[in-house]
Amino acid sequence: MTSDPAETSDPAETSDPAETFEDFKNSFAYGSRNDLSFKFLKGLSSDEAAEFLRLVLLEVGELFDGGSPEALIDLAYEWQVRAYTPGPDKKRPFTYEDRPFTPFSQPLSSSTVGLVTSSGHYDASDDPTPFGVAHMTQEQAIERIDDFLRSAPELTAIRRDGDVSSLRVRHPGYDIRSVSRDPGVAFPWSHLLEAEEKGIIGRLADEMYSFVGACAQGRIRREAPRWVERWKEAGIDVLLLVPV
Amino acid sequence: MSVGHVARHAESEGIPTVTVAVRSFSHVATEMGIPRTVVTRHPMGRPLGPPGDVVTQRQVVRAALELLETATHGGTVLELEEPYRP
Repeated sequence: MTSDPAETSDPAETSDPAETFEDFKNSFAYGSRNDLSFKFLKGLSSDEAAEFLRLVLLEVGELFDGGSPEALIDLAYEWQVRAYTPGPDKKRPFTYEDRPFTPFSQPLSSSTVGLVTSSGHYDASDDPTPFGVAHMTQEQAIERIDDFLRSAPELTAIRRDGDVSSLRVRHPGYDIRSVSRDPGVAFPWSHLLEAEEKGIIGRLADEMYSFVGACAQGRIRREAPRWVERWKEAGIDVLLLVPV
Repeated sequence: MSVGHVARHAESEGIPTVTVAVRSFSHVATEMGIPRTVVTRHPMGRPLGPPGDVVTQRQVVRAALELLETATHGGTVLELEEPYRP
């Protein structure tokens, strides 16, 4: 038998009476209620976050009566975009005026395609062991998000003829549940092999690459030339890049 | 932003690139001048499509490969309109 929540809601015993709504919404971003699919709540004002939660509850109420779960998905998506989109006056780092561009001058069907993702994939036999920690779990990685953001990224290589069952993922910046269920969500290994079989691309390069995109931006700028040199030596003609 | 640095450097070194990004990060493509970007209306962490949805994932990958061949200038952005439907 359930009890009426009102009968047991003694703030002194059941919750921190000093917690504000601001604290609450921010707790989804590496706080006590961490949820990387909803860490965007921190990027909303308290009024916006309250409105988002009101609309979520409204849609849940609709579900009781046969409403569409798609409306709930769309709502979360739209507010995620809203939270991440900077205001027009916000000065952003790494804003450039130039547009580097290399024309693609050979047929794709005879090109070697490289894959690079920032999804944090690696082969089980080649764990990059961040900060020297063996077998670091996703939870441990999340706890060390600040360390990741201060550190250089490490590029891992995954062989195209490797075993997909050996593919692992760990990343402190996003909800890895989807990509753990299906690598094709962010690491299109099978899709590129299929494109090769169908003659759409010449071939998938011998190695694919991944790193944890939550890293020091200055450090990745210094790493990039070394990586690009490696890819050129590997005979890669074009790159498919997938950030998460 | 991390991939943006990689894209810019690869492109300046003669390797054409195409990037698949979720809409939440499409402003980064514009700010950083990423050469070619396919933008999907998917939640963060799911750039190519829902788990198990091979059809959507394939469509996104094929759109990106096509953009490699069709883009004529840096900063080209192709927005895919299909909503996220697991």
